[in-house]
Amino acid sequence: MNSRFLILIVALIAVLAAFGSFYVVNEYEQVIITQFGEPIGDPITTPGLKFKIPFVQKVNRFEKRFLEWDGDPNQLPTKDKRFIWVDTYARWRITDPLLYFQRLRDERGAQTRLDDILDGETRNAIASYDVVEVVRSTNREAQLADGEGEVQLERIEAGRNDIRLEILRNAQSRTGDLGIEILDIQFKRINYVEEVQAKVYERMIAERRRIADRFRSEGQGEASRIGGERERELLRIQSGAYKTAQEIKGRADAEATRIYADAYDRSPQAREFYGFLKTMESYPATVDAGSQLILSTDSEFYKYIKSSR
Amino acid sequence: MTDPRHYGDGPQGPEIRIPKPNVPLIRNLLVILLVLVVGFTAVYQVEPEEVALVLRFGKFVRVAEPGLNFKLPLGVETVQKVSVQRQWKEEFGFRTLRAGVRTQYSTREYSGEANMLTGDLNAASVEWVVQYRVVDPYKFLFKVRLPQETFRSMSEAIMRAVVGDRTVNEVLTVGRAEVANEVQVELQQLCDQYDIGIAVDQVVLQDVNPPDPVKPSFNEVNEAQQEREKLINQAQSEYNRVIPRALGEAQQTIQEAEGYALRRINEARGDSSRFVALFEEYRKAPDVTRTRIYLETMAQVLPNVQGKVLVDSDLQSVLPLLNLGRPAAAEGGQR
Repeated sequence: MNSRFLILIVALIAVLAAFGSFYVVNEYEQVIITQFGEPIGDPITTPGLKFKIPFVQKVNRFEKRFLEWDGDPNQLPTKDKRFIWVDTYARWRITDPLLYFQRLRDERGAQTRLDDILDGETRNAIASYDVVEVVRSTNREAQLADGEGEVQLERIEAGRNDIRLEILRNAQSRTGDLGIEILDIQFKRINYVEEVQAKVYERMIAERRRIADRFRSEGQGEASRIGGERERELLRIQSGAYKTAQEIKGRADAEATRIYADAYDRSPQAREFYGFLKTMESYPATVDAGSQLILSTDSEFYKYIKSSR
Repeated sequence: MTDPRHYGDGPQGPEIRIPKPNVPLIRNLLVILLVLVVGFTAVYQVEPEEVALVLRFGKFVRVAEPGLNFKLPLGVETVQKVSVQRQWKEEFGFRTLRAGVRTQYSTREYSGEANMLTGDLNAASVEWVVQYRVVDPYKFLFKVRLPQETFRSMSEAIMRAVVGDRTVNEVLTVGRAEVANEVQVELQQLCDQYDIGIAVDQVVLQDVNPPDPVKPSFNEVNEAQQEREKLINQAQSEYNRVIPRALGEAQQTIQEAEGYALRRINEARGDSSRFVALFEEYRKAPDVTRTRIYLETMAQVLPNVQGKVLVDSDLQSVLPLLNLGRPAAAEGGQR
């Protein structure tokens, strides 16, 4: 019984030792073996089943993947003395696990150090540029909408991307001895702080009002133009018609006069006869019931009233 | 899984209740259990939209396609499944609460995602959706930690960069499609740079609005635009009401003038023809014709005249006898 118990214990220890000398490195991991806290050998960066001395050596696992760093949203002053909320994120990875292990120990240490570096560099960069430089990327021309008029977009010198790269470069130069590499930093969110926001809204409202006024004035102007055109057209048409009508009538009158003249003016006798005829024709109309006539028996009509001869 | 049960049964069996006879039974049970465990850990199923990455002691060895698959049991090989056929969707500025015929959305808590600055330093609230697929499951799992969260951050950063390069009006109206396209292109570039194994299928802009306090003045612009159209249309319709009528009236005036001209000339021709005809005959016997015309006219005129006084040509003074009108007569009588 006693010897069996001993065997059992030995077997148990053997099993534990066997398990303790194997370890698995995952696809996304790299490992440093430490012996009583002291790193032993090169970092293991390939995945698979690995061996070590049981009990004595310890496995320290580190990520091989790109890791996240999320900046604390922060109020930062810009060069033009405006406060904006800036929220950044960055990607980084452990390039030298040994150095990383020595300098930062673990991810918490790394995050704290990254906070210092990236927040600091972001603050420096934001403070040395105007707000528009952080917002815009290029000097592209704005596409204009109807009635907006010309929009003056401020020209930028650097732009969002350059500022971002500047932060990245500066941060990278400070992480070389930490065993990490920063791959990218991006401005996730940028916004005005609340006090500024109210001012911005006021400005936007004023700008919209200006556009609205422009639309209204354009409408009135255009309507007046059409009204004027209408009046001009009306007068042109009416006077044109009058002119044409008068010309036609004039030509007709002239023609009629010519025809009359041709007929009546052919000889002195004709002229005299026309005068006689017209006078005769006018009597019935001009001598009516109200007229009083004193007629002499000398007149041709009554000359036979005294005698037939 | 296997070990606790094994030991759990073991000590209880031999020590307390049952002595030797049942040892083979326990052994058989253990063997069956072992076979079952090995069997269960060696078989796995991959759904149609998935692929499985097989890891042997943590090391990637192969990709398994949909269907029933086998692996080395007892934790030697493990499997991670990724949906590569499915289209994933990330929503920004809102969340779909319940999808359906009448989908419900929630936007309140997510305004922080949607609020951004435009290139003219105005503010806008942009809600959007990114649809994407995992095209490289290996990269998706092993290149980037928290790939989905990373992807969301990337998407927000790119959207703000693109919107930040445009005026608020472009983002709200004319530039919407362009914004979506550019975000898609740049987001894909960033995905490639990060080696995240994601392909961006589509970026769709949802509600894009000015900030709430500014909304009324944006509406005012729309109203003013409508008003402009209205004024112009009214003026145009007044024009159309007046001018064609004036054109018609002008035609009328001209036609009437032409009618007058025709009449005038015809009358002149008629009159002159008549005169000429008459004159031809008059020339043949002027005296008698003259007398005839005179007498005919007188015969026509004189009967109508009521006040006729006939005076002898020999009478020297006719006035004393005349009673020219009553007032004259009354005056004469008094005298």
